[in-house]
Amino acid sequence: MEQDIRLTEISLPSVNDIHDEALINEFVAGIGKNVLIMTPSFPFVFIGRIVEVVGDAVVVDVKVTTIGELENRLWYIHAHQIEVFYIEQKGMPRIPELRDDI
Amino acid sequence: MSNEKKDNEKKVDEKRVMDDERFFDGMIRINIANVEDQLFDELNGMIGKSILVVTNSDQLNLFGQTFRPIFCGTIIRVTQGDVTLFPVNIKMINAPFYQFPTPLSIPLEKISHFSPDFDCNDRIPLT
Amino acid sequence: MKRFYHVVAIPIRIVLNNFGDYNETGMMYVLKENEEKVKEAVKKNPFTPVDLVQPLCIRANQGDTVEILFENKIHYATGMHFQEADYDVLNSDGANVGFNPNTLAEPGEKILYRLQFNHEGVSIFTDLGNPDSSDEGTSINGLFGCLFIEKRGSWWTDPETGGPLNSGMFADVHHPFAPSFREYAFIFHDEMSTKDITGNRPLDPVTNQERESTHAISYRYEPEQNRKRLIEEGVVCPDCEGEEVHHDSWVFGDPATPIFRGYRGDPAKYRLVHAGVKETHVFHYHAHSFFRDPLNTDSDVFDAISVSPQSWYTIDTLYGLGSLVGAFGDFIIHCHLYPHFGVGMWAINRVFDTLQDGSQCYPNGVPIKALQPLPDRPCPPAPTKERPGFPNFIPGKVGCKAPRPPLGVVGGRGLTELERNAAVPTARPGAVFTDPCIIEENPAVQEINVSLIELPLVYNRQGWHDPKGRIYVRDEDLEDVLAGRKEPEPLILHMNAGTCLSVNFTNRLPEVASGDAFQLVTRTYETSFHVHFVKFDVLVSDGANVGWNYDSSVLPGETIRYEYFADVELKAWFFHDHLFASYHQQHGVFGSTVVHGRFSKVLDPKTGEEVEAGAQVTVTHPLIPDYRDFALMVHDFALLFDKDGCPLNPPEFPGSQDDPGLFAVNYKNEPLQFRLGKDCDPAYSFSSFVNDDPVTPILHCYEGDPIRIRLLQGAQEESHSFNVHGLRWKKERPDIETEFQSQEHIGISESFTFDMEVPRSGDYLWTFETEEDLWNGCWGLIRAYDEEVDFLIPLEDRPSPPKRTKPLPVCTGNPPPPAKKVEVDAPLNAPVKVFHIAAFHVPIRYSKWGEQDPYGIIFALKEDMDEILSGKKEPVPLILRANQGDVVEVHLTSFLESEKFPFPDGIWPYPPVKEQAFYPPSVRISLHPQLIQYDVKSSAGETVGFNPDQTAGPGETVTYRWYVDVAVGACGMWDMADIRNHRSLGTYGTFIAESRGTQILNPKTRTPAVITSENVILNHPFSPDRREFVLVMYDGARLVDRDGCVIIDPVDGILTDVDPDELDDLVDTYDNGSRGFNYRTERLINRLNEHPILKDLFSSKVHGDPSTPVFEAYPGDPITIRLVNPSERRRAHTFHLHGHYWNTDDKDIFSQVKSIEDHVVLGHARDLQLHYGAGSFFNFPGDYMYRSGNIRWDIEQGMWGIIRVHKNKQVHLLPLKNSNAKLN
Repeated sequence: MEQDIRLTEISLPSVNDIHDEALINEFVAGIGKNVLIMTPSFPFVFIGRIVEVVGDAVVVDVKVTTIGELENRLWYIHAHQIEVFYIEQKGMPRIPELRDDI
Repeated sequence: MSNEKKDNEKKVDEKRVMDDERFFDGMIRINIANVEDQLFDELNGMIGKSILVVTNSDQLNLFGQTFRPIFCGTIIRVTQGDVTLFPVNIKMINAPFYQFPTPLSIPLEKISHFSPDFDCNDRIPLT
Repeated sequence: MKRFYHVVAIPIRIVLNNFGDYNETGMMYVLKENEEKVKEAVKKNPFTPVDLVQPLCIRANQGDTVEILFENKIHYATGMHFQEADYDVLNSDGANVGFNPNTLAEPGEKILYRLQFNHEGVSIFTDLGNPDSSDEGTSINGLFGCLFIEKRGSWWTDPETGGPLNSGMFADVHHPFAPSFREYAFIFHDEMSTKDITGNRPLDPVTNQERESTHAISYRYEPEQNRKRLIEEGVVCPDCEGEEVHHDSWVFGDPATPIFRGYRGDPAKYRLVHAGVKETHVFHYHAHSFFRDPLNTDSDVFDAISVSPQSWYTIDTLYGLGSLVGAFGDFIIHCHLYPHFGVGMWAINRVFDTLQDGSQCYPNGVPIKALQPLPDRPCPPAPTKERPGFPNFIPGKVGCKAPRPPLGVVGGRGLTELERNAAVPTARPGAVFTDPCIIEENPAVQEINVSLIELPLVYNRQGWHDPKGRIYVRDEDLEDVLAGRKEPEPLILHMNAGTCLSVNFTNRLPEVASGDAFQLVTRTYETSFHVHFVKFDVLVSDGANVGWNYDSSVLPGETIRYEYFADVELKAWFFHDHLFASYHQQHGVFGSTVVHGRFSKVLDPKTGEEVEAGAQVTVTHPLIPDYRDFALMVHDFALLFDKDGCPLNPPEFPGSQDDPGLFAVNYKNEPLQFRLGKDCDPAYSFSSFVNDDPVTPILHCYEGDPIRIRLLQGAQEESHSFNVHGLRWKKERPDIETEFQSQEHIGISESFTFDMEVPRSGDYLWTFETEEDLWNGCWGLIRAYDEEVDFLIPLEDRPSPPKRTKPLPVCTGNPPPPAKKVEVDAPLNAPVKVFHIAAFHVPIRYSKWGEQDPYGIIFALKEDMDEILSGKKEPVPLILRANQGDVVEVHLTSFLESEKFPFPDGIWPYPPVKEQAFYPPSVRISLHPQLIQYDVKSSAGETVGFNPDQTAGPGETVTYRWYVDVAVGACGMWDMADIRNHRSLGTYGTFIAESRGTQILNPKTRTPAVITSENVILNHPFSPDRREFVLVMYDGARLVDRDGCVIIDPVDGILTDVDPDELDDLVDTYDNGSRGFNYRTERLINRLNEHPILKDLFSSKVHGDPSTPVFEAYPGDPITIRLVNPSERRRAHTFHLHGHYWNTDDKDIFSQVKSIEDHVVLGHARDLQLHYGAGSFFNFPGDYMYRSGNIRWDIEQGMWGIIRVHKNKQVHLLPLKNSNAKLN
């Protein structure tokens, strides 16, 4: 049958779904490791240890963020809202520490 | 690489088995080994090359330093979820050649656009 | 794209108007191809303005490389220095700075400048070969121009012919992906020395004294004083007075100043430029509005904006010409400072509704030049006999005053046939040719009855009063106000967005205003209600008499109807008279209407009843948080008499515009001279315990209430600097991604809204804080109660305040005790930084030429005190630093001694302030910071209202606790114990709130830096290394030379001679004092005396480096400049750095990019992150000058310095980590 150009052929799962799921896998693989996360939403930065992955939310025990009052607590970060991240790997640079005393 | 994927899949599968206690219809498990992911393939082919990547948001903020999310670096690792650059340069408006201290991983779905074979030392206007 | 221009600087006679006012020593930049044409035209027309004699305006696109071949035909070296451009400072700076090669051109020589333009906007070019501020200077005589940077892909045409355009003030700019727009150059400049056609200094025919200095737009001005002569001679309008017909084209024909022409709906951009030398002007555009930052759709909306010398703005007219409602007619655009407006700084935007092909004429027979419609817009209809189009349907008589509008005046006339044809079908009083309310289908309608009355106004408890106060009142309040039952205050009305407002305005003034020491008898027989911001039919509701429009004002006893539409929440719009404003606006003829969001309810804060007017109200809303609304209107040229009837600060002669009178806020002032208390200690001037509450507005709220402050200026000419101590707001109001401020510069007719919450109870000081304003009583309080009071209803959507348990504090006559607890709201585990600070006397050496202040008082770390006193360490303004998240504990000790002050009675002969009075120096000291968090009851660093004492006496130590909750960057810091005797001596500094995790390093060694250094490296694990340079810009200092004689700046620093006749009038009180950066100055007069060559004045090869800071970096080093002005005078400065630029809002990457900081005045605190690092885009090494933009009188008085970008590695300067620089 000739393909009607008004209709779209899709594959299931779509490429987007694969990418989204694979991203979740990355964090699952990183459970227990330190992570640096940047997001366009306030407070913009999270640094801490990945505790677990719940659905598509990464649960991070946040040690450092822009604002002291929001630190030292668990944050459930929507994986698909994360713009840029780094999960600490052996053999790669460590995430720098933020010192509070000049 | 595919072994790792299968392992991960198994882990995910195991998690999903536990969720099976909740009844619902139509939980689909799909083997994606045969599904094409052209972007992933293309990026794989660029490992070792340097690219310029711009991500979705207007601006990011690192402890008060705001900047447009424009990154330039060498691809060292590609998964179906993200691409990792190292060394990576953030084109901050006040320091366009700032090398970030760690590698940075960018979720594929957050990439707005990228251009391969970009020389990170090129001067480009940023506004 | 590459462009090439050959530009010549030539001396030329400039005729500024049709009355023949001229400048024979004028200079201009001109394209080579026009050089002979211009000279010929001027030779043939020596007494009339010549079209080609205009400031050079050329154009290029963003991304273009432009080569300028500059040829100098002036008799000394000159150049072209471009702002906003990217260039190699070693060959294209157009200056001779530091160790750079000289890039000026000698007389007769040429030089090639190569520039690139990477951001849209205006690149002003000026000369730096002769920075002399006298009448011999270059900028002052017209040697300036602009290059307009358009979007990539643009091209431009001549608006008259449609053909190509190489240069010119008017252009139609086109683009394949954007609408075509009209581009208008609007170039303010001032102080040009002019003569009248007889060759004499121009006189004012009314006072017979010399006219105000020249204030012009693009080499043209149209003074009232010239036009008035025609009235006096009986040539025109014999029953007219003068000011009311100043802009009337029916009487005089069109002005010589630019007429910006377009069709209804045309997109239009004004390139607003201040190419002058001294004053900060306010650009006001009738009936239209624009974003302060055109790149930010969330930016604040303005219709009046201040602009300081060598600053610029792009005014992108919202909705195009005619604004949202599609109005047409003559819209006046002018400098709102009345003396400038009166002397001719005004122009007209003429919006046609019919096609102009050159065949039509104005009513006086002058042909209307053709105007090409924009190519992508519908063609306007051709004029016909029945519908001739503006202005030919208006039934005016040439030579007589413009007619009154049809339908508008109660008991007035209806429409003529031509008017009926031109009118809209829904024509009604106030909306005849445009219907402003038709946009909204069922607008809310509000009707207000307002009158203008005259009555005496009392300004303070000492009986200072204005016997001829003139104010707007609601008709409903008329009786109460006249009987004294209601206290007069500026009329502040309230309305919601989406409302159609009708105003019935009645003129109840006497026909003649009597004369006194301040003013001559004037026949102010017609007045109006002229409004800002809202949308209306300009022909009949402008409340003015402009161009060929109607005269929409009324005679005494008559009523006229206006109609306006407030389309969105427009903040507070200003209203005032437009017919005799120069005469009586300073008597109180001003008010404002606040536009709240839809569905708001405005209540009386005491009773909770709905009200329509009030300067302090409570606003409730079903969805957004309720808030308190406070309007503050500042006012200068307040013509007051004391209780015995003696005039206060009278001018030299009645009718003079030379800064007469004093100041007030909402018709009240509380001068500090009356607040010494029985101990005569200035430290308690603001304390209500000692001196009772001030009579100026006290704004009431409860702890935690959101508040909005509407800041406006009612009259008349000067700049003011509004500061709130202890609170802060976001700069671009609707936008969250914007920086915090606690200060704003304001010029007349500007309007600002500040949105904030008041987190803790206590008294917060608000003030117009420059020395003279504050001294003369422009301050008040925001009082936040912790417990219920019976005169303030709580906000409905907030928890009720607790019931009152203790009585309200009262005046005791004695200073309050210090705070019992000094705490700050901060997390328990916040790191604490402790600083021990001493305030003490020490002579300060201000420059290598011997200028010094033998009476200096500084703040310094206590541990440095001995070394500073012994001379081992140089005194510098105190710089404190802390990181976000830190608690800062300050222990401040006073070591002041009363014998060490220069003037024991506090009356300073220099720098002077108006109404000097006894105010002996205080030996107490305090330290007040901006922008960071603290409880004002213990740590504001001042003793205000009913707050406890926060000053330290001699030998005493006071403790403050502050918390850095947000990395706000640079904050000013200054003493509040004695604003009259301490400030000029150095009692100020800076607090820098750095990002979390920042470490500061010494640039020489990369070891931890001393916290108080002005030059450090900021090291942060997640950011690139940055150099931080701190610039504390100060003025109003009193210095002596190496022989111990007082230096009277600016006069002593003017490079060429000053005419002794001019001396008295030359300088205003707020121009006095020495100035510079960081307790240093480099006055050019010293350099000129050593080596009298103008072009070498900034050269370090000849004079060595300046005494002001020389900051060093390597190419590409990221640089953040912390710029603050904590002191002290009211003259606003521009700050400019050669070759570099930054975002005007450092929290918003999308904000406009500029190389200038506009209107820097007391309280200004900004962080400039230079784009691309040292050397800008190309990272070129060289010496980059930083300086004020004011030629009068900052630059020659020493307000400049150098940022040196080294090509070669220096022993004393370690490169930054991560640096990309390739060093030798």
